[in-house]
Amino acid sequence: MDSDGEHHAERHQVLSGRLTRSTGDRMVTGLAGGIAARFGIPTVFVRAGFVTLALAGGFGALCYLVGWIITPDEQQYGSMIEADEPPTSAQRMGLSLAFLALLMFLEAAGLWFGSVVWPAALIFFGAALVWDRSSTESRERLAQFAKPAESGAKQSRTQIFVGAALMAVGVVVVLASLDSFQSLGPVAIAILLTAAGFMLLFGPWIWGLFADLGEERRARIRSEERADMAAHLHDSVLQTLAMIQRSDDPQRMVTLARAQERDLRTWLYEPVAETNHGTIGEEIQAAAARVEGDFDVPIEVVVVGDRAIADQERALVAAATEAMANAAKHSDASSVSVYVECSDGVVDAWISDQGSGFDESEISDDRKGISESIKARMNRSGGEAHVTSAPGDGTEVHLRSEPR
Amino acid sequence: MTTIYLVDDHELFLSGVRAELSERFEIAGSSTDVDDAVDGIRSTKPDVVLVDVHMPGGGGLSVVSNILETNPDICFLALSVSDAPEDVIAMIRAGARGYVTKSIDPDALADAIGRIAAGDAVFSPKLAGFVLDAFSETVPVEADPELDQLTPREREVLRQIARGYAYKQVAHRLSISVKTVETHVSSVLRKLQLSNRHELARWASERRIV
Repeated sequence: MDSDGEHHAERHQVLSGRLTRSTGDRMVTGLAGGIAARFGIPTVFVRAGFVTLALAGGFGALCYLVGWIITPDEQQYGSMIEADEPPTSAQRMGLSLAFLALLMFLEAAGLWFGSVVWPAALIFFGAALVWDRSSTESRERLAQFAKPAESGAKQSRTQIFVGAALMAVGVVVVLASLDSFQSLGPVAIAILLTAAGFMLLFGPWIWGLFADLGEERRARIRSEERADMAAHLHDSVLQTLAMIQRSDDPQRMVTLARAQERDLRTWLYEPVAETNHGTIGEEIQAAAARVEGDFDVPIEVVVVGDRAIADQERALVAAATEAMANAAKHSDASSVSVYVECSDGVVDAWISDQGSGFDESEISDDRKGISESIKARMNRSGGEAHVTSAPGDGTEVHLRSEPR
Repeated sequence: MTTIYLVDDHELFLSGVRAELSERFEIAGSSTDVDDAVDGIRSTKPDVVLVDVHMPGGGGLSVVSNILETNPDICFLALSVSDAPEDVIAMIRAGARGYVTKSIDPDALADAIGRIAAGDAVFSPKLAGFVLDAFSETVPVEADPELDQLTPREREVLRQIARGYAYKQVAHRLSISVKTVETHVSSVLRKLQLSNRHELARWASERRIV
């Protein structure tokens, strides 16, 4: 398993590596060596190819020159290509096809194409084959060639099939074009063969390029997320810490710390709501955070059975906010507890403090907080509100919202 | 005097807790990592262990399960900055007898330790809320009613705790004794630890905890 993975990774590297000029395997500039390493074929074939093409109107010489200019030196670029990976049979076939097509194309394009070219090609490649077979690795390579699908690559089997079919068609067409199909023109066939060979050869590499692009984009998104987090921490946590250091009022420090804690907790643990409407819990939490910030009193919120908020339940959130503010403002309690229980249609909320409490009958009529903002509001939305309080024994406000 | 052992990977927090509690309890020792904690607790055998949830090397969870295998009589109070449901429920199910957040004030923490040392369970309002949430009132057919449901009284006690009332106040409000409140809370804790997870699993999967 492991060796398969390595094998694959290595091959990928060979396929996606940049073409460089070889420094070790060099006769003139190392271009042939570089190409051979890039495709994992014996250098001697590449050289034979260049010489053959050079005979075809000097085209090979031109190719060599251009190649020399556009490829970087291996040492300059950093060596990353190892030649020890034999090519797949598909690659071999693709290369041969491409070369054959190139020759035909040049012939058809009207370059000076002496009768020496075809025999020369045969001679050069025959010689190259003999040369290569005499090398020590050749047996191994031939073995690999004999069972090309060994590495289990489905793709390579398909490629072989397609390549073989293309070649067969190509041969038939070429043979036919020799007499009756003259009108089709060898140029079209040559272009077709070139395209097929090109796809076979460079398809995986182009595919790899797209994959790399995707990987790069993912990496960029990750780094943007990191930057986001750093920015958020800076804007919130660091600012708060700075404020705490400058503050000498303990109550203020506690409030700052709590507000920051709440903020960070929400940001870290609570995923962004999937719907546009918030849940009851979120609305209550947000209200509690506002009240806490305004009055410097911690508010503990517990929500059971949280769900998306219905329109008439917004009245309950508003009334609860008012009750929290009242408790924070008037009770002198060290904290306020909010407990919300949601079930189908019904929402109950208890806002309680253990502070000074009050006698409801002693509240003057011009104070509208409880009667208007809490009770009347709940009644209007079809709910109800009860306030239980006694001097010295804390206050509890119970709000209930029911479906109309 | 009750002996306690502290496990937390934050030195600063450890020293703060030590300072707050050293007058009320005998501090048997403290550790900043899991392996050290397991050895230390086994050798000192404290009454109560205060254990942080998130630590390198397996966290508080592995401390609790390791110790309870060999010393089932040692009680654990989980102490964490996180009140994420998965952390809370995981610690309780591993055998912790209570769970409080680190923002708890020193008196309440001391009270919680005393309660746990006395064999009781400690439910913070948040924890009570989680349990009510998990054991919701809809009764699945295949559930074990003994373990997968709360009695109406237990539910009421939990509601009161979730509303922020101390055990004594809960007892007063429901006109029962504090001892009865403690009994209810302990039985809820037992159900939470032993329940055949039908309810819990459903609750957890709804919240994508598992």
